[in-house]
Amino acid sequence: MIETLIVLAKIILALAWFLTLTLYLTWLERKESAVIQDRIGANRASILGLRVIGLFQPFADAIKMIFKEDFTPPFSKKILHNLAPFTSFFFVAVTIAVIPFGDKIEIGGRLINLQIIDTHVGLLLILALLSLGIYGILLSGWSSNNRYTIIGGLRGAAQMISYEIALGLSLVGLILVYPSLRLSEIVAYQGQHFWGWLPKWGIFLQPLGFLLFLFAALAETKRVPFDLPEGESEIIGFFTEYSGLKWGMFMMTDFMEVVIISCLITTLFFGGWQVPWLWADGFHFPWGTVWVLPRAVVVILQLLAFNLKVFFFCWFQILVRWTYPRFRYDQLMNFGWKLLIPLCFVNIMGTAIILSL
Amino acid sequence: MIKALEYFLEIIHGAWVTTRHFVVNMWFHTLNLLGIKTRRKGAVTIQYPEEKKEIAYRHRSLHRLLKREDGRPRCVVCMLCATTCPSECIYIEAAEDPEDDEFQKYPAKFIIDLSRCCFCGFCVEACPEDALRMDTQKIELAEYSRLDLLYDLEKLLQ
Amino acid sequence: MVKITIDGRQVEVKEGMTILQAAESIGIEIPHLCFHPAFPPEGSCRLCLVEIEGRPKLELACSTIVQEGMTISTQSETVRQARRSVLEFLLAEHPLDCPICDKAGNCQLQDYYQEYGLFDSQFKENKERKSKKVALGKNLILDRERCILCTRCVRFLKEITRTGELGVFQRGLRSEIDYFPGQPVDNNYSGNLAELCPVGAITDKDFRFQTRSWFLQSGPSICPHCSRACSIYIDYHVGFPRVELDKYVYRIRARENPEINDYWICDFGRYNYAYLEKKRATKVLVRENGQAQEGDWDSQIERLVKKIKEFYLKKKTNRIGLVLHSALTNEELYLAKKIFQEDLPEVNIFLIDPPEGEGDNWLLTPSRTPNLKGLELIGLQPQKFPPEKPLTELEILIIFAYLPHGEDQYNQLRSLLEKSHFSVLFTAHQTALMNQVDVVFPTTLLAEKEGSVVNVEEKLQKFPAALTPPGTARSEREILLTLGRGLGINFSFYRQLKTPAAVFDQLSQDISYFRGSK
Repeated sequence: MIETLIVLAKIILALAWFLTLTLYLTWLERKESAVIQDRIGANRASILGLRVIGLFQPFADAIKMIFKEDFTPPFSKKILHNLAPFTSFFFVAVTIAVIPFGDKIEIGGRLINLQIIDTHVGLLLILALLSLGIYGILLSGWSSNNRYTIIGGLRGAAQMISYEIALGLSLVGLILVYPSLRLSEIVAYQGQHFWGWLPKWGIFLQPLGFLLFLFAALAETKRVPFDLPEGESEIIGFFTEYSGLKWGMFMMTDFMEVVIISCLITTLFFGGWQVPWLWADGFHFPWGTVWVLPRAVVVILQLLAFNLKVFFFCWFQILVRWTYPRFRYDQLMNFGWKLLIPLCFVNIMGTAIILSL
Repeated sequence: MIKALEYFLEIIHGAWVTTRHFVVNMWFHTLNLLGIKTRRKGAVTIQYPEEKKEIAYRHRSLHRLLKREDGRPRCVVCMLCATTCPSECIYIEAAEDPEDDEFQKYPAKFIIDLSRCCFCGFCVEACPEDALRMDTQKIELAEYSRLDLLYDLEKLLQ
Repeated sequence: MVKITIDGRQVEVKEGMTILQAAESIGIEIPHLCFHPAFPPEGSCRLCLVEIEGRPKLELACSTIVQEGMTISTQSETVRQARRSVLEFLLAEHPLDCPICDKAGNCQLQDYYQEYGLFDSQFKENKERKSKKVALGKNLILDRERCILCTRCVRFLKEITRTGELGVFQRGLRSEIDYFPGQPVDNNYSGNLAELCPVGAITDKDFRFQTRSWFLQSGPSICPHCSRACSIYIDYHVGFPRVELDKYVYRIRARENPEINDYWICDFGRYNYAYLEKKRATKVLVRENGQAQEGDWDSQIERLVKKIKEFYLKKKTNRIGLVLHSALTNEELYLAKKIFQEDLPEVNIFLIDPPEGEGDNWLLTPSRTPNLKGLELIGLQPQKFPPEKPLTELEILIIFAYLPHGEDQYNQLRSLLEKSHFSVLFTAHQTALMNQVDVVFPTTLLAEKEGSVVNVEEKLQKFPAALTPPGTARSEREILLTLGRGLGINFSFYRQLKTPAAVFDQLSQDISYFRGSK
C-alpha cells in the first residue's frame, strides 16, 4: 500500500517537474532566441500590470490555445485525428519514468529510489518509447485528409527511423563499456574516477559516441536543423491541420523531447546526478582534502547537479535550434545513413577492440 | 575531406557567434536588471507604444495643406496631385473666387482617401505651389471606419 | 504636281499647297499657333519657320507656297534654334500659369514649350500684369496675360461668322484683343472661340474650372439638337473611385467634318448637354392598380409582344397605335417600318417631334430632331397628329418619346391615352406621361447608341456609341429587334440582324439612297 503511494507521489512529482520545465522551455526558447538576436523577446504578458520579464507568457499561450477553435478537417479520420497528439504526447511523457533524478535516499527507515521505476532494461525501454513517437506523426499526417500532411508525416517517419538506427548504435559502445542497462547502475558507475581525479563520465569513455548520440538525438526532436517533418514556415508538415489544444500538444511534445534528450545526455554521458569528487559522505578532493557534508546536503547537491546539467543541455539545444539553418532532405538522409551510421560502427568496433585488449 | 572539415569548423564558428551574442547580451541584461546603468543595452528593441523612434526629417507622413499668409489654402486646384496619384486617392473640386484675380480658383473640396493612399509622395512632388506637404510626422492613422480615413479640407488644413 | 524634298524625303504634292500643308500631308508636323486650316494664313506667330535651301533666311511654312525642286528642312539646328527664340518671345509676356489654366493639357503653346523649350527666360524684367478676367460675351472669358495675339478669334468672327465683334486694339506691346464697344461676342457660335484659341486666353464660362482636360475622355457622336446633325465629341469624366462626381458629361466639342460642320458647332448644341444625365429614366416601371413598381425587361416585353400578337391573330392591327419621333437612327426607323408597317398592316403610326425652334442661316436649323430626312427616305408614312377624323378606341398604344426639348407636344396624347386599353412608353427621360401608361421602358439617347442619321442636306453620318447607357436602359434598336423576333412573323429576318452594321447592310439593300454608302 505504502509502496504504491510512494510510487504515485514519485510519478506526480516527476511529471510536475517535467511539465513545468517544458512549459518554461517555451518561454526560454523565446527569450534565448531574442537575446541571441539582440532583441528583448516576449515581455508583454502581465498579471495586473506585473510583467516580470514575460514569465507569464506560457500561461497566456496556454489560455489562448485552450480557447482557440478545435478544428477537425472534414472527411478526416476523426478518432485517429484526435488520438494522434495524445499518442505523441504519451510516449514522450512516459519516458521520464526511467530517468534517475538522484541517489537513493532514506526517509523514515525506508530506502526511496529517486527514480520512478528502476528497470534492468532502462536504456532499451527509452529507445523503444522514443521509437513509438513515430506513430503520433504518422497518424496525424494520415488522418488529416490532406496530401501535404501525409507527405509531411512520411518525411517525419523516414527521418525518425533513419536516425533511430544511429541513436541505438551510438549507445552500443556505451553498453559495451557500462556494466548494466539499468540506468541507476550506469549513473552509479559514473561516480568513479580515472586516476583519482577525472570522473568516469560517458563523455570521456565514449567521446565519439557522445557526438553521434547528440546528432541523432537532435534529429529525433525534429527541431530546426532537422525540422523537415514540420517546417512550419514553408514546407508544411504533419500537424498543419491541427489547431488549439491538440496543436499545443504537438508543440509540447517537441519541448518534452528536448527535456528528455537533455536528461538522457546527462544520465548517459555526464554522470547523471553525480558531482565530481562528491562521495556519499562529502567531497574527497584529488589532492587529499576531505570535506565532510551531512547526507541531506549531499542529496540536495546531487539533485541540483542533475537539474543544472539538464538545464544546460536544454539551453544548448535551443542554441543549436537558433543557430543553424535547416538541412535539405537529401543532405539529411546522406548525413544519417552515410556518415552517422558508419561512424557508429567504427565506434563500436573501436570500443570492442580496446575492451578486448 | 578538407572541405568537410571547413564546414565542421564553420558549424562550430556559428555556435560561437550565437553563444557570444547570448553571453554578452545577457551580461548587459543582468547589469540593467540589477539597476546598473550601461552605455550599451542588451537589445536594440524599441518598446513601441511607450517609446517612439524619432521619425526622419524626410519621412513621408500624413499630408497637410499649407495656407497663404491670409489664411486661405495655397492650393490653386491644378489637380496635378490627383493626376499623378497612382492610387487615385485624391479628389478635388474647384470653385471660383471672384475676388482673387491672381489665381481665381480655390479648392471647394479637397479629399485625400488615406485608405487608398500608398504614401508615395508623388502628390507633394507634383505640387507647383508647394501647397501639399507630407511632413506632419503623424504616422498613427488607424481608424475604426474607412470613412474616417477620408481626410477633407478642414482636417488637412490643420 | 510639284516635286519637293522635305527632311530628305522626296514627295509629290499638289500645286498651290503651302509648305505646312505639304508637310502635314506626309506626316511631318511643323509647329504653328496662328495658322488654322479654316482661314488664310496670317503669319503672326512666326513659329512655323523652316529652312529652304537657297534662301538666305528662314521662311514661314504656313504662307510659303511649294515650288518645284524646293528642299525644305524642318528639323535642322537653325530651325530648332529659331523656334526656341520665337517661343521665348511668345513667352516673354505669357504668365505660364498652366496650373490654373483650363486649356492646360490640350494647349499647343504648352506642347511646344515642352518640346523645344523648358528653358529659363533670359528676360530679367517682371512680366507685365494685364487683366485676367474680361468677359467677352455671355459664354467667354478672356485672359489678356495669356493671349499671344494670334488673332484666330478675330479672323473667325470676321471670316466665318462675319459678325466681326472682336478686334486688336492698341499697338505694339500694348496690343490687346477686345470687342467693339457695346458689341460683345454673343452670337450663336461664340463657343467655338474657346476651342479655337491655341492658348488658354479665351476660355469657356461653362467649362471654367470644372475639371482638368486630361481627366476627360472623348466619345465621337453627333449633335441631336437640330437637323444639321453636326459631328461632335462628347467629353465625359469616368469618375474617381470612392467619391461620386455630380457630373458625367463635361463639355461638347466640335468634331472636324468638312462635309457638314467643318470645325464648328453652334452654341445651342454646345451648351445643351445636361439632358444627357438629368432626369433620366433608368428602370422599367409597371403600373398595377395605380401603383408603379419596378419590373424586369424580358417579362414586360413579352407581355407587350403577347398583346400585339393577339390582335395580329385577330386581324385587328388597326387597333394598334405607334407614336414615333425622328431622333431615332436610320436602323431603328427601318426596323420600326419593317415591324409596324410591313409585318403588321394598318397600324396607326403617328410622328410627334419637338416643336420647331428658331434657326439661324448657317448650321442651326429650325427642326429640332436630327433624322427627319432619314425618316422620309426610309419610307415610314406616319399619319398626321392629331388625326383628322377622330380615332376609335385603340387597344395598344406604343409611344417612343423624345423629351430633351420639353414635353408640351405630348399633351395632345393624353386624350388618346385615356382611350387606349394598354399603353407602353419608351423614354429616355422621366416625364409626366409615365403616370398614365401601363409600362415604362428606359431607352437610350443618340449619344449612347451606334447607328447612322441623315441630316437635312441628305448627308449620311455613322457614329459609334459615345457614352454608356444609364441603369438598365436599352437602345430602341434592341427593343425593336426583340419585338420583331418575339412576334415571330418574320423571325429569320430579325434573327440575323445582330449588330447595327447588320441592320444597316439590310437597309442599304432595301433602299436605294443608302446603297453604296458604307
